[in-house]
Amino acid sequence: MHTPPRTITADLAIIGTGLAGTAAAVFASNRKIACAIAGNTGALAYTTGYFDLLGFFDGRFVGDPWEALAKLQQTTPQHPLAGISSGDVRRAFTEFIAFIGDNGITYSQPGSDNLRALTPAGTLKPTLCLPATMSKGVEAISRKAVCTIFGFHGLKGFSANQIAANLQNGWPKIQARQIQFPSHLQGELYAEVAARSLEVPANRKLLARILESEAGQSEYIGLPAILGIHRPDNILEDLEQLTGRRIFEIPTMPPSVPGIRLREMFEQQFPQRGIAMVPQQRIERLDFTGEKIALQLKDNHGPITISAKTALLATGRFLSGGLKARFDSISEPLAGLPVHQPSSREQWYQDEYLDSRGHEIHQAGIDCDASFRPLGKDGTVFDPRLFSAGIILAHQDWIRQRCGAGVAIATAYRAVQAVEDFLAE
Amino acid sequence: MDITKTASPSFKEMALKLLPAEASFDACLTCGLCSSGCPASGLENMDPRKFIRMAMLDMDQELASTPWVWLCTQCRRCYHVCPMSIDIAQLVFFARGLWPEEDKPQGIVRSCQLTRSTDSTSAMGLPPEDFVFVVEDVLEEVRSQQPRFSHLQAPIDKKGAHFFVNQNSREPMSEPEEMAPLWKIFDIVGADWTYSSKAWAAENFCMFSGDEAAWYEIIKKRVDAVNELGCKVWLNTECGHSYFTMWSAINRFGMEADFQLENLVSYYARWIREGRLPVNSDWNRKGITFTVQDPCQIVRKAYGESIAEDMRFVARTLVGEENFIDMQPNRSANYCCGGGGGFLQAGMTEHRRAYGRRKFDQIAATEARYVLTPCHNCHSQIEDIGHHYQGGYHVIHFWTLICLSLGILGENERTYLGDDLLALQD
Repeated sequence: MHTPPRTITADLAIIGTGLAGTAAAVFASNRKIACAIAGNTGALAYTTGYFDLLGFFDGRFVGDPWEALAKLQQTTPQHPLAGISSGDVRRAFTEFIAFIGDNGITYSQPGSDNLRALTPAGTLKPTLCLPATMSKGVEAISRKAVCTIFGFHGLKGFSANQIAANLQNGWPKIQARQIQFPSHLQGELYAEVAARSLEVPANRKLLARILESEAGQSEYIGLPAILGIHRPDNILEDLEQLTGRRIFEIPTMPPSVPGIRLREMFEQQFPQRGIAMVPQQRIERLDFTGEKIALQLKDNHGPITISAKTALLATGRFLSGGLKARFDSISEPLAGLPVHQPSSREQWYQDEYLDSRGHEIHQAGIDCDASFRPLGKDGTVFDPRLFSAGIILAHQDWIRQRCGAGVAIATAYRAVQAVEDFLAE
Repeated sequence: MDITKTASPSFKEMALKLLPAEASFDACLTCGLCSSGCPASGLENMDPRKFIRMAMLDMDQELASTPWVWLCTQCRRCYHVCPMSIDIAQLVFFARGLWPEEDKPQGIVRSCQLTRSTDSTSAMGLPPEDFVFVVEDVLEEVRSQQPRFSHLQAPIDKKGAHFFVNQNSREPMSEPEEMAPLWKIFDIVGADWTYSSKAWAAENFCMFSGDEAAWYEIIKKRVDAVNELGCKVWLNTECGHSYFTMWSAINRFGMEADFQLENLVSYYARWIREGRLPVNSDWNRKGITFTVQDPCQIVRKAYGESIAEDMRFVARTLVGEENFIDMQPNRSANYCCGGGGGFLQAGMTEHRRAYGRRKFDQIAATEARYVLTPCHNCHSQIEDIGHHYQGGYHVIHFWTLICLSLGILGENERTYLGDDLLALQD
């Protein structure tokens, strides 16, 4: 049977479709760099939707991330964010958010301070930018306004009672209600299903009626993140009009609607912008021997080759397969890059899971030069055409430092700038 | 049924075989993305996440007897969204095969039996000579009633023709006039095509019944028929699983197939781009709105995004950019409508309609008047849930709309048009 071979040519091949990969595609596309992107988008669908720059540093939560960033650049010069000016960081966030906003998901602009935002557990965390559908939550918290948080029967991964209970002390006017989602009959309710249901105007009217009748005197209503997938801003606006209250979303445990929104939006928008995208498929092999880099992958229909002048490795860490851990060593499986790692297995972890020093394994990753080009075994650039971005990079602990999005977006920005310079030569 | 006494592999063994190399089911985070995105979740108190967990916990007894395996259409959306690339649909196919024939949904079993009962490979059991008769009969009628097509051809068994075209049994059996639009399209673009009297049919319920041997047998007949006529391209009609069962079987069983597998949608797009099919949206003066269904068997499970783009190019050209509204989600991320996997024949109507609720909500959110789809099962299911949930929309095939836009849709080829499209005809 003849299946014609398929080749995609590009100036830049982006390996990975998480935050770093998609941000790189946005930056490349804006700079008219012909790019192709492939990857299996896993953890993006887990995100709260918050874009953290730097949330925890020097033993405490960060109020002013720019000040903390400046300190980080002095004290930990190997950190991926250390080599990036705050101007570039700000521009990177602004440009990425502009793209997302142009495609139906508005985000708040990066401000001078972190915002205090709600987690699914009803605690507060600092973040730099969040979806506009969540902004009024920040407002409600700071104003300590009269507010009802609604949970839904069957929606695991979100407890209105827990949120209200955890915040009660500092916020006495918060209360919780548990209601039935309209047309949901029995069993488990998924946030994604509720969100899709609210894309239908009739279903919004039904929900609004219930909210109205249960919200009492509340000026604010907090809901789990279920306000549609495709056009959440419009759905929020509609519900606010129907109820006459200010409404905000609160992230849920995965599977997370804010993450699914982003993934679906990128999958739909990238092809429309001429970015060749092979969604939900991993690059399997890289070949640097030819004049162009050859990337091999396949989809259900057969093999695909991407032939590119440059490539950007944004494959993430252990969850997404960007890094692989054997019993006593960590490797980077695609290009075979050397991985900066603790000298022995014994040093990977502290004894205590929540040890405040963090675990050294989280600092493992790829070392790069100032242009975000990975280094080979001898400490020189592995290949002048290969770049890297995101949390695959070494010397950062995105979980503890709450800097995942910052690392992803800012390093993608600088890496694409470096690609642009390289292509211009 | 105690499958622990059989020689076949356990679910766990089967599941492990289906994983990508070096992966492990310990990698399943039970994150729920699969279940969250599955329209069958919650039916029979089961979902993909539970299914895979039960496999890992050696709960073979329960897995071999849950009716949920007939409610999962094997659309592979779970696999598509899974960060660990776990193929739950394959496990469901395996489970179906473990059911004794007499316990399987008899509608599916019967369709498979009928498919094997004649050389037609027709799930409605229409023998070759009857198929030939119907084709010639309809051709005669079109030639006499539609002067522009007085020389229309519908070749059968034409050796060396470029395209081998299959045919879904529904048309010749119950609405034979609906075959004519495609013949007219072929005529206009000057395509060199043929039907085959042997193995002409498209559908394949043997795959749905989990019967691998029968699935192979049907495909072998079809591959042989194409090889015999020496056609370069097997051109799949507007039917979803006919493509997938053919292509998947050829790969799975390593069959000798000296031809290309192509889908009509790709050719509609090509012919329009080449100017051979001169369609446009001038006819849509009233701004009637359309959406498009992505059949799982053609898009997500097969050609992927490229055919989804072709389909949208065709739709936009036909109806006008501003009159086309994509449903959400779409392309490879679209939901199965619930028509696939034999669901329409399984007799589990209540479950099927519950499954289809998500598709209905998707369509309702577009507020489109028509759903375009190149798949017979999608066509039937989306029509059914439209009536059941009172949607007020209509469902049509691409060939109908192509002929409508060219002003050549015959009077008895308008069964699926709503009043608004009918009003435009005169």
